[in-house]
Amino acid sequence: MARKTHDVLSVDWVRLELLRTAYSTRGGLFARMDPRMVIAWYLVMAIAPWFTHNLTVLIGFFALGVVSVILARVGPLVLGLFVIGLGADVIALFVAAFLFGGDLTTLIALAELNLKLGAVSMASMAAFVSLDPEKLSDALLALRAPSCSPSGSATGTGCCRSWWTSTSPCSRDSGCATPPPERRGLLGWRVVWQWCVMAVTAFYPIMLNTAKNVRTTVEALETRGFTYGAKNAAGRTLRLAYLRVSGLDVAVLAATALTVIGAYWLGAQFPLHR
Amino acid sequence: MQTVPPPTVAPPTVAPAAASPAAPAPSDPVIVVEDLSFRYPGTDRDTLRNVDLTIQRGDFVAVVGGNGSAKTTLCKTFNGLVPHYWNGDFAGSVHVNGIDTWDSSVAELSSRVGYVYQDFQNQLVRPTVRDEVAFGPLNFGHADHRERTDEALEQLGISHLRDSFVWQLSGGQAHLVALAAVLAMRPEVIVVDEPVAELDPARAREIYLRLRALNQEHGITVIAIEHHAEFIAEFARSVVLMADGAPVWHLGVQEAMDRHGDLEAHGIPAPDAVSLTAAVGEESVALDVPSAVTALRPHVRERAAGPEPTAGSWPTADSRPTGAELGDPVATLRGIHHGYRTVAGDLAPVLVDLELDLRAGERIALVGTNGAGKTTLMKLLTGLIVPRQGTVTVDGIDTRSRSAARLSDHVAYLYQHPQQMFLKDTVRADVALFPTGRRVPDAEARVDEVITRVGLDQLAARDGRTLSGGQQRRATIAIGLAMRPTLLLLDEPTSSLDVRSRHDVTGMLDSLAETVRCAVVATHDMELVASWASRVIVLDQGRVLADLTPRELFSRPELTARARLVPPQAARIAHQLGLDPLPLTAAELRTWLPPGSAPERPTPAPPLPRSTISEVH
Repeated sequence: MARKTHDVLSVDWVRLELLRTAYSTRGGLFARMDPRMVIAWYLVMAIAPWFTHNLTVLIGFFALGVVSVILARVGPLVLGLFVIGLGADVIALFVAAFLFGGDLTTLIALAELNLKLGAVSMASMAAFVSLDPEKLSDALLALRAPSCSPSGSATGTGCCRSWWTSTSPCSRDSGCATPPPERRGLLGWRVVWQWCVMAVTAFYPIMLNTAKNVRTTVEALETRGFTYGAKNAAGRTLRLAYLRVSGLDVAVLAATALTVIGAYWLGAQFPLHR
Repeated sequence: MQTVPPPTVAPPTVAPAAASPAAPAPSDPVIVVEDLSFRYPGTDRDTLRNVDLTIQRGDFVAVVGGNGSAKTTLCKTFNGLVPHYWNGDFAGSVHVNGIDTWDSSVAELSSRVGYVYQDFQNQLVRPTVRDEVAFGPLNFGHADHRERTDEALEQLGISHLRDSFVWQLSGGQAHLVALAAVLAMRPEVIVVDEPVAELDPARAREIYLRLRALNQEHGITVIAIEHHAEFIAEFARSVVLMADGAPVWHLGVQEAMDRHGDLEAHGIPAPDAVSLTAAVGEESVALDVPSAVTALRPHVRERAAGPEPTAGSWPTADSRPTGAELGDPVATLRGIHHGYRTVAGDLAPVLVDLELDLRAGERIALVGTNGAGKTTLMKLLTGLIVPRQGTVTVDGIDTRSRSAARLSDHVAYLYQHPQQMFLKDTVRADVALFPTGRRVPDAEARVDEVITRVGLDQLAARDGRTLSGGQQRRATIAIGLAMRPTLLLLDEPTSSLDVRSRHDVTGMLDSLAETVRCAVVATHDMELVASWASRVIVLDQGRVLADLTPRELFSRPELTARARLVPPQAARIAHQLGLDPLPLTAAELRTWLPPGSAPERPTPAPPLPRSTISEVH
């Protein structure tokens, strides 16, 4: 069993994917929009599916969700997790229903809930993959959210980074401290068990190291006028000065609104209920 | 808020330390500290004790002192972090530009006093460089934040980094960005906490050159906390020596270096230029290489018979075995290519077509700038990663055929940051983790022996994180030794240590030979290379630029310049004096000087009064 360097499905890959997702380095339609408009768009997409039981409308929303995910260039990690999650959900519900005497028609019965969940999840992915923490906090600030939310976002960014850098004790452990089990056991349970033990023992050093690093981050935020800026109206105005609603924003919102209305109209013409 | 009680401990009064023989002529103080004492909550003694200090506008001050002498705490009083962020018992006063810090706030003071942390990576809070630098001005509501950002980036010559993400920056670049973020607030004072700790010396020097420019061209007062006397002598205008929570003295840099005995007594050994010129009896010691060369030239004597009389004194630096003497290969690397994926998705090459043999009995130093591929090479040797192309063989085992956990029976890797090695809550448990995990029969005895060997018997029950820098490093070496590896890899074992702790660690390294067949140290510390290594591998952009002995390396300035290495100061002096064979350390260089003027240790300059010292002790 020769080892090789994996470019996907490795720890480094997950790390890169998280960075790409968090800072929307892939670009995409919504990343070019004004963050306030992205939030407005998201609210439309997240609320609209809940007012109907009509499968035709929901299929329309699901399709709209797929289109937005493509336009937002959502990465493989998040998308993969979503597909696995939705798939597992459908299968689990179907198995449960089958055991209690259901048949294939149960699947159609389950379609309504899963289509709704899927449409809303895809809208969330498209929106939040396109908003990096800065844009999100600026949008919240512009929409007069309580001042703790943008501050949480900035502190969170710093904390996450230092948390990530301090996960390396795990690598010491996987590297040398604990020997691998002699036999893998049934389905490799010994290996799994060892991973669990390692995750628990690594918690203490990781938290201590993170706490130590975050102390500097918090001090640095303080010395750079962070709390001062949160209370200061001038800072807020300056910071938000770059926010502009452009033609693109209006067009995207209008297109979305039209599609939503269109989906409802189509649903009224060809209603499909279970 | 806390009350302001008088200090409960009344230490002997320090001589009005700020006595200003050093201060620039017109008295225009920017920071005035009067009778300041501070005690952190939950501790039973004052951290700062009756500090009196005046810093003149436009000065370049080095704050020096051993670990735990409250240098950082003192500097945190300048921007109000003490007492507004760190509550505690605060007595006395600090005035910055005439403002009493007690009545001010961190935010207000921070726009006057900028602070760059030692762990500056944690100071960066925004995703891109531009956002990071504009962050302060935006918070303070300065309408000209764009101009300030551009100006700060321009002043430090990093405008091209404007749109980079902060996690893509190298260490030196990240430090400059942290400095730019502070500069954008147009402060009058900048405090820099140990820039050399996390940077390689060539880059640290760059930081100092920029700081000097800011100081000279823009009149910004610079306060640097620093262990490395070489930088102090070259860049500072005045020096504050801290000991035990109070300044011992504050003198002009020349006078401070003339008192190198005091500095040495507080764990700051004199730079080679100072100790060598003092050894030949110069009244006023040399502060940098060119003046040391001028001072030493008349004293250098011709040595009759080559290196024989001294060969015994530096056995490692040039005794490279050849031919039949070569030991068995412990590790071999054949045709190695390796690279990482970047955020953008492309492959960034780190190591290119590497061919190396590491042999038994060798002490190998791996040198090169940050990003040259040193850490990647070490990780390949441990099997934590495997190469994209080529074969790594350690102890006869292809690393592809074993998991890293299995390979750790043969290779031990000690991380640069000791806290990454501490998994348990006592040093002893950390050292025992490997042998007991592997059910080594005599695990207990082995752990006891190793702990005694590194001199941590007294501290074995403490948590590794609570130890001082040097003790932490020794604890990690103990962890490595308890693994009884064939190949021991150490990443930057001497970084961010004060000199006394460095001696401990280099001493430990010397004794490794008894248990380890081959040791590899990745380091920026050229003094360590000169005094410890028998072979130096110079990496540059993923290739082996040179593979030679330390003496060969430091005799070739074109090579060290290309690899951005700074040879030990003694070697630079010797090179300019044209000595051959090149002495690498001050001790070796002293054999070229008249015996009468070459005492074993540099003596404190006798003619100078030492009254201030005796008053403290």
